[in-house]
Amino acid sequence: MRAFIQQPVVQVFLYALLTAVATSFGALPFVFIRNLSQRAAAYANAIAAGLMLGASFGLIVEGTQHDGAATFLGAIAGVAFILLTQKLLGDHGHETEFLGARGAGARRMLLVIVIMTVHSFAEGAAVGVSFGGGAALATAITLAIAVHNIPEGLAISAVMRPQGASVLSCAWWSFVSSVPQPLAAVPAFLFVSRVSAALPYGLGFAAGAMVFMVLVELLPEAYEQAMARGIAVVTSLTMVAMLLVQRFL
Amino acid sequence: MSLLQVALLASAAAIAALLGPFLIEWADTPKRHVLGVADALAAGMMLGIAYPLMSAALARASVGAALGAAAGIVATYLVHWRLDIGGAPGSSVHSLAASAVHAAPEGLALGAAAAFDPRLAIVLAATLAVHNVSEGAVLAAHLPRGAGGRARISLLVVLSNAPQVVIAVLALALAGWAPALVAPLLGAAFGALTYLCLAELLPDSYELTGRTSIALVVTVAAGVVALASGRVW
Repeated sequence: MRAFIQQPVVQVFLYALLTAVATSFGALPFVFIRNLSQRAAAYANAIAAGLMLGASFGLIVEGTQHDGAATFLGAIAGVAFILLTQKLLGDHGHETEFLGARGAGARRMLLVIVIMTVHSFAEGAAVGVSFGGGAALATAITLAIAVHNIPEGLAISAVMRPQGASVLSCAWWSFVSSVPQPLAAVPAFLFVSRVSAALPYGLGFAAGAMVFMVLVELLPEAYEQAMARGIAVVTSLTMVAMLLVQRFL
Repeated sequence: MSLLQVALLASAAAIAALLGPFLIEWADTPKRHVLGVADALAAGMMLGIAYPLMSAALARASVGAALGAAAGIVATYLVHWRLDIGGAPGSSVHSLAASAVHAAPEGLALGAAAAFDPRLAIVLAATLAVHNVSEGAVLAAHLPRGAGGRARISLLVVLSNAPQVVIAVLALALAGWAPALVAPLLGAAFGALTYLCLAELLPDSYELTGRTSIALVVTVAAGVVALASGRVW
């Protein structure tokens, strides 16, 4: 059993599964409250943005040590992946029914779960690719994505709970939205471990996708709900803390 | 790199802002989308500059770099809060003061980079020059009509970048006097630039145009600058 767990592929799967489980922790505040204040949601997004920017910094540093241009091209591919995902999701908005809710509320619930699920593939790939850069980088990236997933679970629950979904249902759908992470992490790891030239592309892909997600989702939403100065100070201090953590892991 | 050389580099970057008001004059009434993209371009270049600074600082002294970065963030936040920068657009004096506060960390970045590696300082100065053109254009567009004619506005825009020159010289002098301060100074420049990008440039750009365009411009600009400075350095 111990030998099985210590196999690299199993470790990658378990680390990525851990990040998926962390998403369901986002439902916990809704045991005590029905709605989350906009300010709290904004600062949760700011912390997640800082963690993801710090994690991306580590990925880029690691990638440029192998090949700067390949890392940059990988980052552009990561941005293109998120853009394509957004385009595909934008073309499939219908009136629908979900978990007993109908119309716009149901559509909002379904859309937030689908968006989180699809972009989870990029995060899973980040976890898998980071194992190619060594255990310290892998631990740092897993930690960043796990912590980042909590506000994502919070975002899903914040949409579902006011529509009448139970806390368990919120936690379950939050977890489901991150299931692609363990599924994407293993093939990403296998790919970069067998084709070493792909590592800087993979590191760049993960960094580009994460930075783009921060800029297109987390920060604009945070700015809408709290003062820019507060968001900036929380995001940048979290980023510095994440950089320091990565140095000592 | 000598103090005179860094002063000349910083002055050249500051004077480049002169092109901004001319671009605005040429474009007549610039569209909101164009101003938003100019802000995003400036933000991306600023993040791109911040990346090699922090990489260099962390390689030299991790804890010193992180403490410097935290100090840079908190100090810039306190100045912003005290002067109420980042709120609603104010008078000409308020806009120019905000620009001067913005220019100071750029000078710190240039001075600290010159102390670390002159080649990095040259790349930073070139990037800051392009960045200042974008910023000069946005500042000229935001200045109220009463601020004066084209020549006066151009002069004000360049003068608002004067702290860039003064702080660059002071930072290099400080680093020469106490080399152990190079990592904290680089870290402080990283922290202040990142904070400014997040507190000023990005929120302004999101108000002016769509978030997808902003994210695209910022990511590509930051990537190009980081790649260029990484290659030289």
